[in-house]
Amino acid sequence: MTAHESLQLISEMLNNSRKDILRSNAKYYMIWGVLLTCFSLAIYILWKTTGQAYWNLLWFAMPLVGFPMDKWIGKREEAVRSENVISRITRGIWLTFCIFSCSVAIFNILFSVVNTSPIGAIAVGTSLSGQIILLFGMAEAITGVALKNWTIKIAGVVTGIGGLALYYGIGLYEEQMLLFTFAGLVLFITGILVKRQNR
Amino acid sequence: MFPKLDPLLHSELRLAVMSILAGVDEADFTYLKKQTGATSGNLSVQIDKLTAAGYITVEKGFKGKMPRTTCRITEAGQEAFGNYVESLKEYLK
Repeated sequence: MTAHESLQLISEMLNNSRKDILRSNAKYYMIWGVLLTCFSLAIYILWKTTGQAYWNLLWFAMPLVGFPMDKWIGKREEAVRSENVISRITRGIWLTFCIFSCSVAIFNILFSVVNTSPIGAIAVGTSLSGQIILLFGMAEAITGVALKNWTIKIAGVVTGIGGLALYYGIGLYEEQMLLFTFAGLVLFITGILVKRQNR
Repeated sequence: MFPKLDPLLHSELRLAVMSILAGVDEADFTYLKKQTGATSGNLSVQIDKLTAAGYITVEKGFKGKMPRTTCRITEAGQEAFGNYVESLKEYLK
């Protein structure tokens, strides 16, 4: 092997590991993108047809569906996997987003109950959509920075800033759910693009 | 005068294994096999050589009912890999 060939081999192997991590992330983006789109549309339709805001409680069912799917995919990948600091960072970013957004939602419901009926409290909870969409976009953009991937960075900015703009532009009640449909679609499309880039 | 290249690393498969392990915390045998395109036998032999040199550690265990071999680069391995890359750069100057 010449020195040039050796360096080429090293850079090829490092690049392949990076691509592997991006491909693995893309799968999770697609799954959670589909879940987010489906749940937000279902809640939007149910809320619109019944006029009841308590359909928002269905959000808590999303992790119940998503995490087992997540685990199933992780198990399938376990036989052929590698782990590095970037994969740990991205997992940490999304776990932090999950904890923060769930806490914000729970606190809002709990403290709103003091002043309003539980159903009203959940309606008040929809004003959180702007905050959650911003957190979501931020998590996505930071993941893009960690993975050095422009598609994910741009998708994060589009979701966060675009979502916030939409939040102020659309209605106050069930229409807010469409923000998450938008975020879910952006996430799903990002997953497809990242997978294609790293075949 | 060019620096001497570490003969242990100056082999295509061993260098490929070390390059992968330098970028990750740990990697399965199956992952290394997939990434390098090597046969199980050849990969095992090269991994044994790297382990004997103290460049990597190998942990054999089970995940559920499936046997699993996990490889990690050691500090000595990282140092040797870094020196090897520096030496290569000298050759290309």
